[in-house]
Amino acid sequence: MTAILQTRALGKHFGGLSAVSDVNLEVAAGEIHCLIGPNGAGKSTLFKLVAGTYAPSDGEVLFRGENVTRRKTYERVERGMSVKLQVPSVFRELPVAQNLEVALQRKSSGRALEREKQRLLEFLQLQDDADRPAGILSHGQQQWLEIGMAVALEPALLLLDEPTAGMSPFETERTGEMIKRLNAEGMTMLVVEHDMTFVRQIAQRITVLHLGRVFAQGGIDAIIADPRVEEIYLGKGHGH
Amino acid sequence: MSMLRKLNGPQTMGNSRAFWAGFVAMLAIALLYPAVSDPYDVGNVAYLLIFTLTALGLSLMWGYTGMFSFGQTAFFGVAGYSYGVISINLAASGAMTLLCLLGAIAVAALFALLLGYFLIYGRVSGVFFGIVTFATTLALAAFFGQTAGPEWAIGQARFNGFNGMIGMPPLELPWSGDVIVLEGNALYYFVLGLLLVIYLGLRVLVNSRFGNVLVAIREDPLRTELLGYDVRKYQLVAFVIGSSLAALSGGLYTAWGQFIPPASMGLPAAAMPIIWVAFSGRQDLTATMVGTFLLLLMFQTITVYSQQYALILMGFLLLLTVLLVPSGFVYGIARSLSLIGRRDKPGPEPVLRAGAEGPSS
Amino acid sequence: MFAEAFSIAFQFADVFAFLILAAAGLAIIFGMMGIINMAHGEFITCGIYVTVIAVQHGVPLPLAQALGAVSAGLVGIALERTIIRHLYHRPLDSILATWGISLMVTQGMLIVLGSSWQGIGTPLGSFKVGDYTFSAYRLVLFGAAVGVLAGLYLIFMRTGYGVMARATMQNAAMAKALGVRTERMYAISFGLGAALAGLCGALYAPTMTLIPTMGITFIIESFVTVVVGGANVLLGTAPAGILLAIVRTALNAWYGQIAGQIGLLITVIIVIRILPEGVSGWLSRRER
Repeated sequence: MTAILQTRALGKHFGGLSAVSDVNLEVAAGEIHCLIGPNGAGKSTLFKLVAGTYAPSDGEVLFRGENVTRRKTYERVERGMSVKLQVPSVFRELPVAQNLEVALQRKSSGRALEREKQRLLEFLQLQDDADRPAGILSHGQQQWLEIGMAVALEPALLLLDEPTAGMSPFETERTGEMIKRLNAEGMTMLVVEHDMTFVRQIAQRITVLHLGRVFAQGGIDAIIADPRVEEIYLGKGHGH
Repeated sequence: MSMLRKLNGPQTMGNSRAFWAGFVAMLAIALLYPAVSDPYDVGNVAYLLIFTLTALGLSLMWGYTGMFSFGQTAFFGVAGYSYGVISINLAASGAMTLLCLLGAIAVAALFALLLGYFLIYGRVSGVFFGIVTFATTLALAAFFGQTAGPEWAIGQARFNGFNGMIGMPPLELPWSGDVIVLEGNALYYFVLGLLLVIYLGLRVLVNSRFGNVLVAIREDPLRTELLGYDVRKYQLVAFVIGSSLAALSGGLYTAWGQFIPPASMGLPAAAMPIIWVAFSGRQDLTATMVGTFLLLLMFQTITVYSQQYALILMGFLLLLTVLLVPSGFVYGIARSLSLIGRRDKPGPEPVLRAGAEGPSS
Repeated sequence: MFAEAFSIAFQFADVFAFLILAAAGLAIIFGMMGIINMAHGEFITCGIYVTVIAVQHGVPLPLAQALGAVSAGLVGIALERTIIRHLYHRPLDSILATWGISLMVTQGMLIVLGSSWQGIGTPLGSFKVGDYTFSAYRLVLFGAAVGVLAGLYLIFMRTGYGVMARATMQNAAMAKALGVRTERMYAISFGLGAALAGLCGALYAPTMTLIPTMGITFIIESFVTVVVGGANVLLGTAPAGILLAIVRTALNAWYGQIAGQIGLLITVIIVIRILPEGVSGWLSRRER
């Protein structure tokens, strides 16, 4: 397998506080890679370093073989990344369909765009809400719409930050199915998540962050079987 | 053909056949108006139409893109003075005057590009954007206000300080071997034609892919950037287009009256575009155009009796808009009466729209 | 030589005083509530007229000036209670509302008060250093500016109001949860901001010809100082005042008043290109 995303000795500190340090992460093409860890482990910071909304203090980010460390977010998106942040951010006063159009128009136009839009609305189960302002959708639906916008860019790598935050168990499960279906169609994903049930549902490989460093890395079964991982989740860990 | 399809879309009110039928009827009335009125009144209406261009530009920047430019009058004035300087020094006549107008707009657009670059690429947004553009227009007014001495001139064109620059030629249009001086009826038709083209052009623009991105930026700049758009580039383009429309107003105004004073950039002039657009409904071009015209007409009628009372009324209307219908009166009325069909189902009235930007950080 | 140096220092102090006094009220309201009070100039005008009217009725100047500041503050509180408080969740609309009010007040005063009034003359006379003559009252203005900064520092660092105000500036929701009556904080802050605007007008009243639109004289300076200073009055306003006063004094000396004003504006545009959150944003980031 080839790595689509690589970070080399990536670090970020705020003043004297080190949020992430010396992270070497590798996401292979075609996999669902989950980034887990207890609160304050540095998951969100690492995610933002990859997405380009933070500039790193040390190290570099390689995307599809290219060093994108100094690239702005939109430039990374142009190169095939697509990002869904934790707090749902949709264009609240624009109709649902137009939300998707803004994303879709980067890749297609005319009839092809219409077809794609219908397909996505169906996938997101938002057909009936196509003409309603996105702001009046439920929280879970807004999360889905945002995933839909990210998918519409036909990315080589989809970055999802806690896609199930604030969702009901039912919505969480459906989200998991969506993600697996996208993966089955060949999409690579890096997912930040703290809900272990959900991680078990979707993950193929896992990186565990603890105190800003990579604590463990491996296949889903190995990680779940690792007693040290359980320890840090139960709060017994003392770092290094 | 696909361009024309973009005349209608989610970013504009009035996409139905009934709307366009009404539109054509209004246009017909506007075309016939000079036949039933005297040239003086016609010239006056042309004067009102000139200002609606400034309002349309502000609607594009503020209503569609979410940038509060309080400095439309700066570009109005810069273009006005530039028209004076260029046309007086070239002793322009005939088609040359139209080139002078274009040159004046180019100068103002360049100025907008420069100012916009510093503000937008400095990530100045929200309230600060308003303050700096506002301070710019006031500073320009103060600058031109003290250029009374004979040393303040570019070539033959004297600035004349507080009294303003005079003596520039009116616009002239070559027409089948002859030249038509653009005043009275001729100016009216010229401005009406310009307004028609610009209004339709802006409709196409806001309903196009470009417009989709503009409203997306207004709603959520970060989300838009996450979709791979260089947000600042779009903002800068919108700023330059919007400011250039103010410049077009300024150039036409100067040629119309053969006069441009510094007061056109100071207070209370700088507050006017904001009032027109806020009162009318900034997030819609049609509402802005109609509302601005009506306000100007009312303002002009009252000014005859007392300019102070007219201005007090304008201030009062702005306050009333903010307190009662933040999305604008014309826009609000048009929506609630559902006189004009909308393609999408109406959502909840965007009461919080204006505040969604939050305090500047 | 000393006379020249004194002259430059004097001009700097004069410009500095003008910037600080013009901006202080605006800066407090902006820092506290994130809104720009477009009627700032009208509060200044209020201070000017109350002072002049009081002096013309035989009130001693310092007392008249206090009266000017207090009345502007009261008008500010009244305005806050009736209109502004409805608009805190819509900062842009609150700006538009104050702009509407500003327009109505200016034009209303033109109708009621007529276009120009007799001024009251600058007190305290002048003094000489070397061959140069200086107005003694300008030194009072400089002293007042320093006094306003010191007073604000004391209010914000030493009083109960100040502690709660700083908490509200940091995080209004949190302050509210901790029992700070944010509504009252806002009303007091708006009143304080208006009173400082009134004080500015009162202090400059003896130096000016009176016209109802004179508030505009202060507007550009106050706005640019607030933009350069950023959201924190304590941290930003004084350094912004010093920076802008240096620029302005230099440009005034070499090219005249108007170059000074345009220079201010260009400085602002460059400063926000480098420091988008103003001097105070930059300073507080460095502390972190």
